Amino acid sequence: MKLQIAVLVLASALTAAAWGRNVDLSTVPNRDSVQLTIYNSEDLTLVRETRTVTFKKGTNPLQFSWANTLIDPTSVELRFLSNADKLEVLDTTFPQDKPQMLYWNVQSDFDGEANLEITYFTSGITWSADYLLVADRDEGQAGLEGFVRVSNSSGEEYENAQVRLVVGTINLVEKIAQLARIPMSEVDGLRSDDKDRYRQLALRDVAVTASGLGGQAPVAAEAPPRVIKEGLSEYFVFTIEGTQTIPNGWSKRLRSIAAQDVTLKIQYRYRPQEYGEELVRMYLLTNDKDSKLGTTPMPDGVVRIFRDNGRDGLSYLFSRPIKYVPIGDKIELNLGPDPEVIFELVKLRVFRDDIWMKMHGMDVFRRVDDGAGQIEVKSDVAGWDEHAVFSQRIRNYSARPIDVEIRRSFDGHVVFRNSLKATLHDYHTVQFTTTVDAGKKTDLLFEVLSHEGRNSKQNNVTLEDAQIQP
Amino acid sequence: MKINRRIGWWIVWVILASAPAAAQARIKLITLPVRERVEIQLDNPSATLVEEERIIPLVKGENQADFSWANTQIDPSTILFRVIAPVGEKNIDVQVLSVSYPPNEASLVWAIAASDSGSARVRISYILGNLDKSFSYRAVAARDESALTLYQYIRLENLANEEFGSTGLWAGFGKRFLRPIGINETKEILMEKFQNVPVRKTYTCDPQEFGYIDPAQKKLRVPMHYVLKNDKADNLGSAALPFGKVRIFIAGSGADQATTFLGEDWGRFTPIDDEMRLYLGVAQDVVVKRTIERNEKIRVAGHLFNRDIIVKYEIQNFKDKPITLDVWENARLIRDEVGGDNGRDVQWDLGDQTNFDGGLDNQKSTFDKLLFHVPLPARDQDGKAQTITRKLHLIVKNEW
Repeated sequence: MKLQIAVLVLASALTAAAWGRNVDLSTVPNRDSVQLTIYNSEDLTLVRETRTVTFKKGTNPLQFSWANTLIDPTSVELRFLSNADKLEVLDTTFPQDKPQMLYWNVQSDFDGEANLEITYFTSGITWSADYLLVADRDEGQAGLEGFVRVSNSSGEEYENAQVRLVVGTINLVEKIAQLARIPMSEVDGLRSDDKDRYRQLALRDVAVTASGLGGQAPVAAEAPPRVIKEGLSEYFVFTIEGTQTIPNGWSKRLRSIAAQDVTLKIQYRYRPQEYGEELVRMYLLTNDKDSKLGTTPMPDGVVRIFRDNGRDGLSYLFSRPIKYVPIGDKIELNLGPDPEVIFELVKLRVFRDDIWMKMHGMDVFRRVDDGAGQIEVKSDVAGWDEHAVFSQRIRNYSARPIDVEIRRSFDGHVVFRNSLKATLHDYHTVQFTTTVDAGKKTDLLFEVLSHEGRNSKQNNVTLEDAQIQP
Repeated sequence: MKINRRIGWWIVWVILASAPAAAQARIKLITLPVRERVEIQLDNPSATLVEEERIIPLVKGENQADFSWANTQIDPSTILFRVIAPVGEKNIDVQVLSVSYPPNEASLVWAIAASDSGSARVRISYILGNLDKSFSYRAVAARDESALTLYQYIRLENLANEEFGSTGLWAGFGKRFLRPIGINETKEILMEKFQNVPVRKTYTCDPQEFGYIDPAQKKLRVPMHYVLKNDKADNLGSAALPFGKVRIFIAGSGADQATTFLGEDWGRFTPIDDEMRLYLGVAQDVVVKRTIERNEKIRVAGHLFNRDIIVKYEIQNFKDKPITLDVWENARLIRDEVGGDNGRDVQWDLGDQTNFDGGLDNQKSTFDKLLFHVPLPARDQDGKAQTITRKLHLIVKNEW
């Protein structure tokens, strides 16, 4: 343990300057309990530890040191859990020559024991989430397990710690790791009022909602520790049941979610802006109770996706990162293209009409096919309509019918002519869907009419029902 | 079964139930459960999944299973541990409590709780790098080149620095194989033999794709292809044909039936119902001379005009067999060739002087790629080849 508190046993009350000299004798009270509240959006952990210290009446110097750890010295706070009315911190001193140490001068009105709580921020302890999804053979349902992995590279070993994991994005004005590596005198120079106020608020908020510390027995070995979830302001807190020891340099992964028979839907999507220029196969789930989920938000993490291959084994499909999924929201997993589904866009023909000429030197326009006879040689094309007829060909060689959703975006003033019951996803993006039976093909015909030059009046797409011939 | 020394597995009995397991479990009495079954799943195009089963002895309470992998490329984030079933009559409840990852080691430690002493069959799965697969084909055509036998092979290259005993191998389609694979070993296995696959022999000219063999004389290059259709009617079509090299032979006529090597090509990934097109070489006995016979601008209005173009093909077949020539053209490239590229798509009509047999192949043509077919008679008995002249009359409209 590199982090320790020492009660300095001295003949009389000393000045801060005197502590800079050699200390004759000290006692080192052990930790009674420790709680780690780890934020995943920042390299930040709030440590709350309790110790029992015996005070004598008068002034008691306490030394707190954290050599070779990543503690933010500006965040260290001392609070008395017992006899608080008889104890008072007179001052806190950060010695110039010992950067990872501080002294508290505690005034005691009694002789006896008191419980202390020391809180501080440290960096180097992180947690992350990941998920394992195993679809059944028919891909109608899946088992979903969520895990939290806590990694400790803080330089300190926190034994039998209660671990709380905060899901959410917090604001920090400076990185804890940065503060931990500079002397206190320089931190003072950097510190702003806002930063300080935020720190105090953050400490108080989390401290108020923290459950009681210490004395918790390890959970029974026959069952994995449960991860208890609760909402807190804009955050969600996962509390791992019992206590955990994660030695410095180690990581530990625990299961946080276990759901079976989760409803799974498959959709094929063509959305170039999201998934690139290919039709991709999606697993769609919902984080709600109807889908056998919905007990907790799902923090950012990687989902590893497997499928029962029907041969007493698994097929590895893909690994995909997901963003935070609130309760009730959708989980969309892109599995990439399916070699059994062929998706082709074929341009069948192109033609132009409604061509307008502009006379040279004049602000006069004439339509080419208006029957007015020969148009002046000295004229240029100033506007026209460009028609392109497409076939969206889909061949499904898989063993099941597939649902396909297609989004296509067009720039400029465009009319999308079709009989596909297309809708507008946004002002320039058309969306249409179809189902292709197993072993079948389909040709979805549409025409894109683009108003060009002076014919262009808008920058949007309008839909028009029309039967398009191949 | 041999205990492997690179991917190691051992079970540790934790004596002190309350001890911080991960931190103290490094020096222990250990057992070394052997692999009972290994399956290598090769169905993912870019990753190889290894699944191995072992029977692990467990004591009541907390156990530790250490898994380490020295000098192998296991992706630790993909390691899965699943309890398949207890072994024996005891119905033991086995659960994974946690996984710990020691620093600077390619290993992990599972904390496993057992409700009673006994054994359990567990399965561990992981993505293993440098254990790669590829596919190749050997095609033996009949003497008359009307059909061929296609042999499909899977080749497994084990550079993973790990050996596997008798191991199930599955490519995601076809049969499952049981084979041992040694370190640095490459194993090639015949997956399928497709017999009597009809082969279509094509001769194609395409200025865009194949260009000219003699540009000065405007003679087009005419490659010859074997075309196989991946469907049931053609004795294929059971699965997509993966990408791979295809070596093509032709059956011998002598007593020893020795085959002759015709050439090789990369067979592209061919889904069911698609065609695999294999390039065998240039057919120098088929001569196609391509010239632009007409190029006229016809003013429509102002600077708006149409362009009247005739592309002429003079074709000779010096083979002693009749063949069909496929003629591809790109309307946009023809426009660019005679009038420059204006960046716009081509609006075109076929003019009345187009005289290809059967007209445009509407099934395969698109707005800019045009396909025509020309049946060519064999050379006559004097060795002279008839010159067949065909014209593509293209009216390119509304250009400026």
